[in-house]
Amino acid sequence: MELYELTAREIADGVKAKKFSAEDVTRACLGRLSSLETDLNACITVMEDSAVAKARAIDSGLARGDEMGPLAGAPYIAKDNFCSRGVRTTCSSRILENWTPTYDASAISYMNDAGAILMAKSNLDEFAMGSSTENSIIGPTKNPRDLRRVPGGSSGGSAAAVAAGYCPVALGSDTGGSVRQPAAFCGIQGMKPSYGEVSRYGIVAYASSLDQVSPLARSVEDLAMALEVLARPDPRDTTCDAYDRPKFTDALLLQDLKGKRIGVFAGFEAEMMDAELYGALTSAADHCKSAGAVVEPIDLPIAVKYGVATYYVTALADASSQLACYDGIRYGAHIDGPTLADMYANTRTASFGEEVRRRIILGTALLTEGYYQNYYGPALKVRTKMSAEFDELFSRFDAYLLPTSPSMPYMLGMKEEDPTRMYLGDVFTVPISLGGLPGINISMGLTADGLPLSVQLVGQRYDDARLLGIASVIERIAGRPGVATPDRDKTLRRGGNGA
Amino acid sequence: MSSVESERPIVIGLEVHLQLNTSTKLFCPCSTDYIGRTPNTNICPICLAVPGTLPIINDRAVALGARMGIGLHCAIQNYSNFHRKNYFYPDLPKAYQITQYELPIAVRGYIDIEGEGGLKRIRVHHVHLEEDAGKLVHPTTDGRLTGAAYSLVDYNRGGVPLSEVVSEPDMSSPAEAKEYVSRLRQLARYLDVSDGEMESGSLRVDANISLSNADGSLGTRVEIKNMNSLKSIERALEYEIVRQNKTLGSGGRIVQETRLWDDSEGVTRSMRNKETASDYRYYPEMDLAPIVLTDEEIERFEKNMPELPWEKRDRFSREFGLSKDEVTILTEQKELAAYYESVVNAGAPSGRAANWVRMEVLRVLNETGGSITDFGVSPAALAGLVRKIENKELSSTVGKDILDLMAREGCSLEDAIECSGAAASRLTGDSLRALISSVVEANADVTGIIKSGQDKKGGKMKFLHGLVMKESRGQADPKEVSEVLSKELGL
Repeated sequence: MELYELTAREIADGVKAKKFSAEDVTRACLGRLSSLETDLNACITVMEDSAVAKARAIDSGLARGDEMGPLAGAPYIAKDNFCSRGVRTTCSSRILENWTPTYDASAISYMNDAGAILMAKSNLDEFAMGSSTENSIIGPTKNPRDLRRVPGGSSGGSAAAVAAGYCPVALGSDTGGSVRQPAAFCGIQGMKPSYGEVSRYGIVAYASSLDQVSPLARSVEDLAMALEVLARPDPRDTTCDAYDRPKFTDALLLQDLKGKRIGVFAGFEAEMMDAELYGALTSAADHCKSAGAVVEPIDLPIAVKYGVATYYVTALADASSQLACYDGIRYGAHIDGPTLADMYANTRTASFGEEVRRRIILGTALLTEGYYQNYYGPALKVRTKMSAEFDELFSRFDAYLLPTSPSMPYMLGMKEEDPTRMYLGDVFTVPISLGGLPGINISMGLTADGLPLSVQLVGQRYDDARLLGIASVIERIAGRPGVATPDRDKTLRRGGNGA
Repeated sequence: MSSVESERPIVIGLEVHLQLNTSTKLFCPCSTDYIGRTPNTNICPICLAVPGTLPIINDRAVALGARMGIGLHCAIQNYSNFHRKNYFYPDLPKAYQITQYELPIAVRGYIDIEGEGGLKRIRVHHVHLEEDAGKLVHPTTDGRLTGAAYSLVDYNRGGVPLSEVVSEPDMSSPAEAKEYVSRLRQLARYLDVSDGEMESGSLRVDANISLSNADGSLGTRVEIKNMNSLKSIERALEYEIVRQNKTLGSGGRIVQETRLWDDSEGVTRSMRNKETASDYRYYPEMDLAPIVLTDEEIERFEKNMPELPWEKRDRFSREFGLSKDEVTILTEQKELAAYYESVVNAGAPSGRAANWVRMEVLRVLNETGGSITDFGVSPAALAGLVRKIENKELSSTVGKDILDLMAREGCSLEDAIECSGAAASRLTGDSLRALISSVVEANADVTGIIKSGQDKKGGKMKFLHGLVMKESRGQADPKEVSEVLSKELGL
């Protein structure tokens, strides 16, 4: 077994036991990255020197007998919308192409303090707007399970990196599925914690009421370890809850699901999803049953019918305001013009990509007098109704299963021309975001063609620990995902779509 | 009161922005002390809207907002929140202002003012919290945008906490509007909510004014901005009343618009119309948790309220037996009121102390341009002085000189008396006896009556006593005068 195949737990244990050094691991991961990056295009910035330096510092700390953090020596990658001090943070946008933050996002400093080693900043859809990691200044990231396919998005770079063995753990941001869906597409585990669990300070916002820092890994245990580091009160984010978090890794001691009640989504309409994924959902339900859970079908009529519309109204409105600060005055791109209004227009038109401009324009319209009353106002109300629907379910169930994505990873370029179709791919993830609920994408193995299957496990808000426990039982039965080694023969050459 | 006449009823409502007395900004730990600072030094990633940053609410600002609300008899809300007001302008780093919009911290209140026909109640619609913007600096000789090749922006003021007090349209003259702002400012200062300085911009007023139609319906509303003093509020409104009456009188129509007051020209001018009607696309601010105040917290705010201006006025007239005018002047500033109260507590009779504080202390402050908080005469010293005057040990005239000396030189009462020469020139002993002899001689008829025992009621004696005091120009001790006078007359 190669060092880059280890989980964060195995690395931290091995480094502490001096079975290998942090530098060994870091160099192995950096080596893996450099051997595959031309194929995958998962990273915007690779921090080779600082990663090795940090690894050495950990090794010498260990030699001195210093106390080691829980993630000591584990390399990680952060999506390039996490601010990192002294390291360019682009959000995959021309408008921030040369912007270097002066501070670390809270999540980054928590990870660093825990001994994890930041080794790269990963690719994403511009400003986290997209589901395929194709809308990027560096071009699309490829899916390591099948290079012809998208890795999902918007945290596609982080998902591809973890799946390909660049690092055991990566950070993404999940607004409407941006971590769970790429985890599903790349065949790994990814968790969006409850809204308010992890500080958002320092992640470049897309939609304030939905964004959540979310870890990706190849094991549920690593998700729990990362969450244990990430989830804590932060005075810099007042929407981050101040409550005392449980020890998330303790939840992994759960042996079976006896006494647990699990709902399984059954409210499908005929052509709603790909057949393989329906099969994955059924086998996940069977796993729960075999572990002793009571499993019953559920429906989510409001969430499924109104989720996507409600989500896009909420998120686009927020995005239009959130991205207004890029006015060419204080930071980022600046393109002059004869008047102030011209300068604004020149800067923003040339420096935002098409999808971002589309969302800003739609969001601006949605908040305009008249439209607000017809769209944004009702969306807030539907959101409340949706929460009531979830609450009712949680009075009967401990957790429930539903698909993460209705479709298998699609071919590059396939949905670029049709944003509405792409938006509909979020049907099962956005309601969970709107409800502020925790959701975990659990890998359910691969198809005969080597394409990843997965399922989404959803819990009650702030029930993240228990949800991780249930996920770990399912993972034990379904099997932990392994590292993907891309098959270069499957690369599809398409003109004008490359990096 | 008002110097302009209007046949059409005047309807005025005011929006008053108060810069809150906090040491840090509304959503970040930067200092609020921006006046005179090097541009862009009181800033941080949060108030510059650096990507990834989030606002953190300043609890002190919330407490001050609630305090102002309580002072205005408002209902303080258990739950209030913020909205985003979206617009592009270089002085607004996020391109939206965080402001309370739907659910402000305090609603439905009032303040009583001295109106044209006595006490008048002006209703307050609500008090809300919001952040200030930065400042644009145009490098032109007159500081205006027109003709500037470029503009500079200073974010030191960006994010400074403001509370906006929005009145109902209850004022019906410029004088009432001015009086309302005075009372509001006094309240804010009493509560330590704001220093309320209009000149430095810590109190800003936007006025809405309309002239009602003949049928009583409201006319078209015009908003006036850029008034930098109480006087300019009155002048701007007066100008606007004349302008609107003239326009309406000649068959014209009032346009709903914002006009800027030009203080040097004494006119209001239409602001350049925006291409489109302003639509600020308000929507809830999700980066901030809502402000939740429990009943207990609100009660605690109420308990911690200092004495309010009108409470002090009532107490002063009750406890010290002062007239309404005296009370009004003494309580205008709470620092002056406290000074007066200390003078009385130090043993000065309340009535005479009131006169001295209100006339002489204010005169000295006015002459020296000082404020009561750094006034050189301690309340105890003034009390001593007033007591000596009350006891006729000193005349009022001499007392004023002594007060001036104490204020200017910062010396004690004793030293000031010494310096003033009042002690040296005191008429006593031989010189007093000489004066009395000459008075007795010059009034032989009166002394005759006294000596013959006909001054049964003592009236003639009092007459002589008064003459001596007058001749001594107040420099004699009345008691000594009585003694020497009796001896001189052989009584």
